[in-house]
Amino acid sequence: MKKKPIEADDPLDKWREQLRRGGLELAILLSVSSTPRYGLEIIRYLQESTDLVVTEGTIYPILGRLTRSGVVEAEWISEGTPHPRKYYRLSLRGRKNLDEMLDHWNAYRSKIDHLVETAGRMEP
Amino acid sequence: MKLSEAGEARVRGYLFVLGQSLKSFLPRAVVMDAVQELESHIRERIDGAEPEPDERTALEQVLKELGMPQRVAQAYSAELTIEEAITTGRVAPTVRAFWNLATTSLLGFFPALGLLLGYLLGFASLLTALMKPIFPNNAGMMVVDGVPRGFGVFSDIPPGAEMAGGYWIIPILIGVGLAILIITQRSATRFLVWWRARRGKFDDLPGWPI
Repeated sequence: MKKKPIEADDPLDKWREQLRRGGLELAILLSVSSTPRYGLEIIRYLQESTDLVVTEGTIYPILGRLTRSGVVEAEWISEGTPHPRKYYRLSLRGRKNLDEMLDHWNAYRSKIDHLVETAGRMEP
Repeated sequence: MKLSEAGEARVRGYLFVLGQSLKSFLPRAVVMDAVQELESHIRERIDGAEPEPDERTALEQVLKELGMPQRVAQAYSAELTIEEAITTGRVAPTVRAFWNLATTSLLGFFPALGLLLGYLLGFASLLTALMKPIFPNNAGMMVVDGVPRGFGVFSDIPPGAEMAGGYWIIPILIGVGLAILIITQRSATRFLVWWRARRGKFDDLPGWPI
């Protein structure tokens, strides 16, 4: 069977977008969970370790929101760097949030995996 | 890449426009912090860039990837003001968020108009209740030949018109005014929650909020 080409307004595009959007906040929190990172470093980290491309003009407003909601903490550091950098790290509250998000993520993923496996076994 | 005087001026110009755009929506401290962070980002990118084919092209590429300052400001404003309005439910952030939406989209304009009307109607009711004891013959509902013609506080009452209702309308006006304000505020917050949820489709445009 021939595959139908994906068009710009294809519902699949919307689905992919929703999936990406749903995972982005988790990806940002994970990127600052083990070590503090600054904005550009987070962008590069996400690009290198995933295919999540976050436009530069959007990451800072999101980080700002996460800071204001207390999920991440921000600190300006100027020592040892050519320019002052604003480093972000998970707060205690953020770590609890992240743990809960990961629990949900893993539970959700295993359910979908189960569905995929079941569907695969039932295929003619 | 080390910037020339012209390059420095271009960066300062970008940050100035960004700061001015942010100022219309955000508190001064937030604006300063955001501008400082983006300056740090730009300088970091410039440091790692090669001046090829020339400094101007390389610098424009860095700024292009960041997005137009107005768009970046829009993303900041949307994230911060909408989030603050939803989280706190306070009037000032709500008004700022709606002002932001009204000035950037047609879909945001009409709800903002509704919000303005709701606030005006609510405050007008409270003001009328407040003025009734002071100007009992000028505050309330103006009726001409048994037909209501206006509501509020009137400086001139035309011949044949009378103000319906006595002091008993004061608690009613206070109740109605507060109810309108509460309903308006709750509707506004619900709209912002919905707006925040539907923004995903603009993700791939540079500078748009995710």
